[in-house]
Amino acid sequence: MTLEKINPFFFGYSATRLFGCYHAPRPGAARDCGIVLCYPMGHEYIVSHRAYQKLAVRLSQAGFPVLRFDFYGCGDSAGDNDQHHLGQWLADIATAIDEIRRRGRVVKVCLVGLRLGGSLAILAGAQRGDVAGLVLWDPVISGKTYVQQLTQIHHETLQHADTPPSSALVKEKPTEILGFPLTDSLFADLIKLDLLAIRQKPANNVLVIKSDPDADGGRFTEHVKSTAAQVESQHLPGPQLWTADVNKVLVPNQILGSVVAWMSRVYP
Amino acid sequence: MREQVLRFGKSRSLVGILTDPPAGAAADLPAFVLLNAGLVHRVGPHRMFVQMARNLAAMGFVVLRFDHSGIGDSKVREDHLPFEQSAISETQEAMNCLSALRGSKRFVLVGLCSGTFTSFRTARSDSRVVGAVLLNALLESPETINEAAVADAFSRKTARGYWHSKIFLSQSWLKIITGKASYRQILGVLYLRLRSPFIRRRSNNYGPKQIAADLRSLIDRGVKLFFVYSEGTSVLEYFRLTLADEIRRMTPSDKLRVEIMQETDHTFTLLRHQAHLLKLVCRWARSMARD
Repeated sequence: MTLEKINPFFFGYSATRLFGCYHAPRPGAARDCGIVLCYPMGHEYIVSHRAYQKLAVRLSQAGFPVLRFDFYGCGDSAGDNDQHHLGQWLADIATAIDEIRRRGRVVKVCLVGLRLGGSLAILAGAQRGDVAGLVLWDPVISGKTYVQQLTQIHHETLQHADTPPSSALVKEKPTEILGFPLTDSLFADLIKLDLLAIRQKPANNVLVIKSDPDADGGRFTEHVKSTAAQVESQHLPGPQLWTADVNKVLVPNQILGSVVAWMSRVYP
Repeated sequence: MREQVLRFGKSRSLVGILTDPPAGAAADLPAFVLLNAGLVHRVGPHRMFVQMARNLAAMGFVVLRFDHSGIGDSKVREDHLPFEQSAISETQEAMNCLSALRGSKRFVLVGLCSGTFTSFRTARSDSRVVGAVLLNALLESPETINEAAVADAFSRKTARGYWHSKIFLSQSWLKIITGKASYRQILGVLYLRLRSPFIRRRSNNYGPKQIAADLRSLIDRGVKLFFVYSEGTSVLEYFRLTLADEIRRMTPSDKLRVEIMQETDHTFTLLRHQAHLLKLVCRWARSMARD
C-alpha cells in the first residue's frame, strides 16, 4: 500500500477562498517541480474527482509536490454554482500556482487539466509565460463545440431518466447542463473560447492526451507546436469521462500512468 | 457562514467540511451531518450538499458534510471492516467530533440513496440522532434485499414509465401501426398496470418487517423522519411495495413525513428540482428548530 500524505485546506483571498488538497512528495524523492491539477467543470468535476485524487497520489509518489484545487464556485470552494467565469478561474490558477510554490518550495510549476481544466491551463500558461509544462487531457479546443456537446448530453441524459421531464425540450440557448447552471456570462465566455487563437508559447513542454478517437486533435497539436513549444501527442483510448453517468466515478489508469511517466521523464 | 476543513476519526483519516452559522453554534439546535451519496464525494450530486449545508448554516444549524473512508479525500480503512459497519461507526465519529468542537448533543442525518441506509441504521443504534432526511431512501442493504421484490419494483417502474411516457405518445401507436413496436413489451406493460392491485396484495407478504418495526421504534423514540422520493424511480416503487402500508398506518404523525416529487430523477438533476428539494429540506429543518 502506498503511503498517502495529503493535507486538505482552504487558501487564497478571503472573498474567493479556494479549497485544495496538497500532496507532499515522497520523502527522499522530491523533485524541483510542483504540479497544479485543474479540474474540469460541472458534472465532469464530479465524475473525475476520484481520477484526480488517484493521479495526485501517483504524482506525489513519483516525487512531485502536487496541489489539486477546486475553482471558485466549484466543489468545496467559496462561491455558488451560478458564479462561474473564466476570468475568475484563471485568477484561481494564479493563486494556486503561488500556493504550490510556497508549500512545495519550488519555482518550476506544471499544470495538468482535463477538458475545460486543460483549456484554462493552457490559457494561463500563454498569459503568464512562467509555466514550465502542461498536460492537456482532452482539452476543450472550441467553447462553442463544447456547449453544443454538453447540451446534447444533457438532453439525452434527461430523456433516458426514470421520468423524462416534460420541459426537457431542446432550447436554442441552454440555461443548465446536467445539474449546473449555464449562466449568460459563462455562456458568453465559453462561446468566445478558442484555443486555436493562442499566439504566445504556453509552456516549454506540452503533452496532449486524446482519449476520443473521433476528436480532431491534430490541428490543435500542430497549432501549439507553432508557438515554439515542445509538444508530444498521445492517443490513449479510454473512457470519456464527460459522457459517463454522472453518478459513476471512473479512473482511467492507462491515462494516469502516461501522465506520471511523461512528467517523470521530462522533469527528472 | 464560515467553512473549515475537519480531519477526524481514529487516525484523523476522515475529511469533512464544517459549516458554521454566522452567529456561531446555538446550543439548543441539532447539528446536521450530510453523508455520501454512493461514491460521490462530500459535495453531493450537482454540488447540492454544499448549497444545502450553507443554507442550513444560514438558518443557525452547524453542518458537517464528510467523506466515508475510501471515498473522496478520506483514506481507505486498514481494518477491513465491512462498509455497512464502518459507515455507521464513522457517522458516530462525525457526531463525536461535533460534540467536542461545538457542543452538539442532538443530530440530524441527511442521506441520499445509499446514504439513507447509513442514516437509518445509525439513527436506530444511536439515541443522539433526533431526525433524518432520507432522499430516495433504500433502507435495506443491497446485499440482503429481496430480489423478487426488486424485480417486481423494476417491472413496475418500467411499466409506470411506459404508461406515462410511451403509451400516450402518438409516435408509439404509429409504430404499432407500422409494425415497428414491441407488441410483447407494450402488452406486458398494460397487463402489469392492470394487475397492479394483485401485486400490491402479494407484496405484503415479503415486506421487510424488521424495517417497519425499526421505523415504529424510531418514531416512538421521538425521532423525526422526512422521506423525499422522486416519482418514477425504482426505489420509490420498492418503498411502495414494502413499506407504504406500514407508513400509512403510522400517519398522520408529526414525526413522519413523506414527500413525492414529480418529474424528477434519482439525483434531482434539474435546477428547479434542486431548488424545490432545498426548500422542502429547509422548511422541515425549521420544524426541527421549533422542537
